[in-house]
Amino acid sequence: MRWRQIVRLRLRSLFFGRAADEELDEELRYHFDREIARYMAEGMSETEARYAARRTMGGMEQRKEECRDSRGLRWLEDLLQDVKYSVRTLAKTPGFTLVAVLVLALAIGANTAVFTVVNGILLRPLPFQEADRLFLISQVPNGLWFDPGPIMVDRDYREFRRYNQSFESLAALSSAAGRKMTLTRQGEPTVLTASEVGPDFLRVLRGQPALGRAFLGDGQQDSDVVLLSHRLWMSRFGGDSKAVGKAILLDGASYTIAGVMPATFTFENADLWVRDEFRADPHNVYFIPVLGRLKPGVSPQQAQAELATFAGHMPADRDFSGKGSVTRIVPLKDLFVAGERKLLLIFAGAVGFVFLIACANFANLLLMRGAGRQPEIAVRAALGANRWRLVRQLMTESSLLSVAGATLGLLFSIPGIRALVALLPPEEIPPGVELRADMRVILFAFGLALVTGLAFGLAPALQATRRQLREGVSEGGRSVLARRERLRSGLVTVEIALALMLLTGAGLLVKSFLQMRGVNPGFRTMNLMVATVDLPKARYQTAAQMRAVDQSVLAALASVPGVKSAAAVSFLPFGHGVMGDFQIEDGRHLPEDYRVDKPEISSGYFGTMGIRILKGRGFSERDDSVSPGVVVISESVARRLWPAGDAVGKRISMEDHPNAGDWLTIVGIASDVRQEGLSDRTGAVVYQPYRQIKMPGFIERMSFIVQSESQATAAAGIRSAIRGIDKDLPTESITSMGSIVDDALRGTRSQARLLTTFSLVALLLAAIGLYGVLACSVAERTHEIGIRMAVGAGRNDIVWMIVGQTLGLTGSGVFMGILGALALTRVLAKLLFEVTPSDPVTFFAVTGMLITVALLAAFVPARRAAGVYPLEALRHD
Amino acid sequence: MSRPTDLVQGTLDLLILKTVALEPMHGWAIAQRIHQVSGEVLQVGQSALYPALHKLEQKGWISAEWAASENNRRAKYYTLTKAGRKALAEEVTLWERLSDAISLVVRAV
Repeated sequence: MRWRQIVRLRLRSLFFGRAADEELDEELRYHFDREIARYMAEGMSETEARYAARRTMGGMEQRKEECRDSRGLRWLEDLLQDVKYSVRTLAKTPGFTLVAVLVLALAIGANTAVFTVVNGILLRPLPFQEADRLFLISQVPNGLWFDPGPIMVDRDYREFRRYNQSFESLAALSSAAGRKMTLTRQGEPTVLTASEVGPDFLRVLRGQPALGRAFLGDGQQDSDVVLLSHRLWMSRFGGDSKAVGKAILLDGASYTIAGVMPATFTFENADLWVRDEFRADPHNVYFIPVLGRLKPGVSPQQAQAELATFAGHMPADRDFSGKGSVTRIVPLKDLFVAGERKLLLIFAGAVGFVFLIACANFANLLLMRGAGRQPEIAVRAALGANRWRLVRQLMTESSLLSVAGATLGLLFSIPGIRALVALLPPEEIPPGVELRADMRVILFAFGLALVTGLAFGLAPALQATRRQLREGVSEGGRSVLARRERLRSGLVTVEIALALMLLTGAGLLVKSFLQMRGVNPGFRTMNLMVATVDLPKARYQTAAQMRAVDQSVLAALASVPGVKSAAAVSFLPFGHGVMGDFQIEDGRHLPEDYRVDKPEISSGYFGTMGIRILKGRGFSERDDSVSPGVVVISESVARRLWPAGDAVGKRISMEDHPNAGDWLTIVGIASDVRQEGLSDRTGAVVYQPYRQIKMPGFIERMSFIVQSESQATAAAGIRSAIRGIDKDLPTESITSMGSIVDDALRGTRSQARLLTTFSLVALLLAAIGLYGVLACSVAERTHEIGIRMAVGAGRNDIVWMIVGQTLGLTGSGVFMGILGALALTRVLAKLLFEVTPSDPVTFFAVTGMLITVALLAAFVPARRAAGVYPLEALRHD
Repeated sequence: MSRPTDLVQGTLDLLILKTVALEPMHGWAIAQRIHQVSGEVLQVGQSALYPALHKLEQKGWISAEWAASENNRRAKYYTLTKAGRKALAEEVTLWERLSDAISLVVRAV
């Protein structure tokens, strides 16, 4: 009751202050009138009575003020008053307000957009129960020539299952990203991403099928079963619940659908999961990712220690490499964001710089405004406002500006997020991630704004109120002026340094992109269409069967009208080839770690791809399974292994211990191609005719290449040719060689674009900051400029003075920026292509660009300074 | 004009609470009543009265409502609330202890 009354009264005085004042008026008037009546009753005349009453009442206004004070919530009223006053003063200087709000909105918008992406990708929890208990168990043998990621050797994993104490459940995967399988007899043949997983896969992740059942546990009879993802179930099975229990054909083999996972369950890009017990294969060694859920109460450190002990006890003869292994426990989340994390953190850092620049700008704007308001502040102080009250007033203003900036920034971030997603390489956005502004993002934006408003508003507010009364009123105090200018110059210098660091990073990436684009891949990229076909093992077992299919497809392609030439290759350039070594007949060993790509090709490959034969001959139709084995080596292999130029005619073998029939004669040398990708400078390739390959594993996957003026003709031709041979072969993945090369550029291009965008925003902000400081300095120095001119300085001297000031500011900023860039661009090293992080050309170019922009920013203030009339300037005070 | 001291302020609060404890009363009547009851010794100026009334209202010890007065005009009537009654009892105890103590000191000499 009492509290309700108190709250009601306070709210009333806060929001209906005027009504409360009117009531008070009435109450006091009533008292006044009763006093008059009383005095009149005592015998006074009305005039006397009124006079007497007024005397006893004292100052009416003062009474009211005392009553108002007693109403409480003074501070809130003050705040509202401050806000009202701030809105009024900000509205009076729309230019300042607009620039300040825009500067902040730009920075907060950019930061919010990046944060949204970081929030969506890095901070989003995995869609599994207690996902922080999920880990990848990794025991990587030493001495590998590549990084397999977090994996275990399959036989070690089987051993570890018996040894394990830390994990409540374990499941292996065939590979983290899954593998391609072809689904047939269910609409058009289509290539799916399948993940072969251990029986306990769902137990580890605590997932439940929405329909049907999970896989049966280890050792139970449950083979050739799959779980469908919700996506695949909807797209290929029409969301029909009768799909459960149905048999489907994957790569020509029959599997039974055990169940369908809910839409919320996603794991990498998998369309379906195939149960696999990972039984021992005595002939092969597999690297498999292993997933485990920690037992309650067991820390990752304990699990790591257990794994290390396990690896340490491994008998030497069981050790895969004989060199021991590296063990670690990796949070599952790292599997999903391994590639993205570093890139996103770099962008977050870059956009953070933009934010700092904007903050410095904001502080500078406030400083300059504070300087301009000196007389007003002095008057208010003289009228009795204490400093705290004035500081509060100024900070209310800065907070108001920053909140307006955040609101506008949130609006900016909406197209910003869209642009960012478009700029990000699509593979950086994991499947199932939705990028939008949630509560966390909004809190982030306003948090930034509040920090900016308070932290960067405080110093200018203190600065503005520091000056003593007399100074302000009389506009003296040149020494204070100098101190103020030092602070402003310092801030601008920092802005320039930050902008230069960003520009350098962007410049390095742009240069990388240009270098990459300038690379000649060594093969034709125009007018080539490509289709890759996986021959299902279930129907194609022998190499002879596979060769026959390839031959018929090639024959069919050659007869398509408009097709100039056609070829087949087992591993396309820029694809994932198989690297390996070989033996040389003269007994020499290959250099340590020297590996070559070994694509199997048809005789038309060199011609179709535009790869030149430099020496000897290419392959012909006569190089078939019964003729002697031949190879063509790339120029770089020839130069490296036969520097005397006598490679043709020499013999090599792909077998580790070749028999007499295993030797292959080098019949020609082909020009180098960047087989592994644009950055593959070695281009070490040994080509073999596919018709001489006896191992089916090498040619079960073939890419057909067609040279044609018209992409549409080529695509239709490829499709009908393949259909004609086997209608169950999928033909969706038809693409052009040009787009394969373009894909290779995409990552660097989008990184360069993103960082360039950020750095241009930074440059713009720094230019605005520099302009503001120079303009303000010119305005403050009008008097001084006037004197200089009066004593004989010409307009050029004045312009040079401003240019000198500009170069001074820019110079120290550039100096700091270069030091900072040298320290920071190293984080970009992995993203760069044939550019060192301290590339002098880039540093020189961006510095030149920055100085140019700085001089442009100085142009208007310099002109204004030169336009000063000495007489007017001296009258300025 | 300085603000009433704490002692006077506290005493005025007590007087107001005690006066409105009888019946709802408007400001002028409260002043008159205190004047009369104190044997015309205590003259409560409205400079102290109204701020005190408003403060007590804010504290929730008295509540106010507008009603027609004896001379047929709108006047603001103050009523003691439940919380105010409790506060009054405390203030009275406090006052009695204080005045007893002062009396003791004054008579001892």
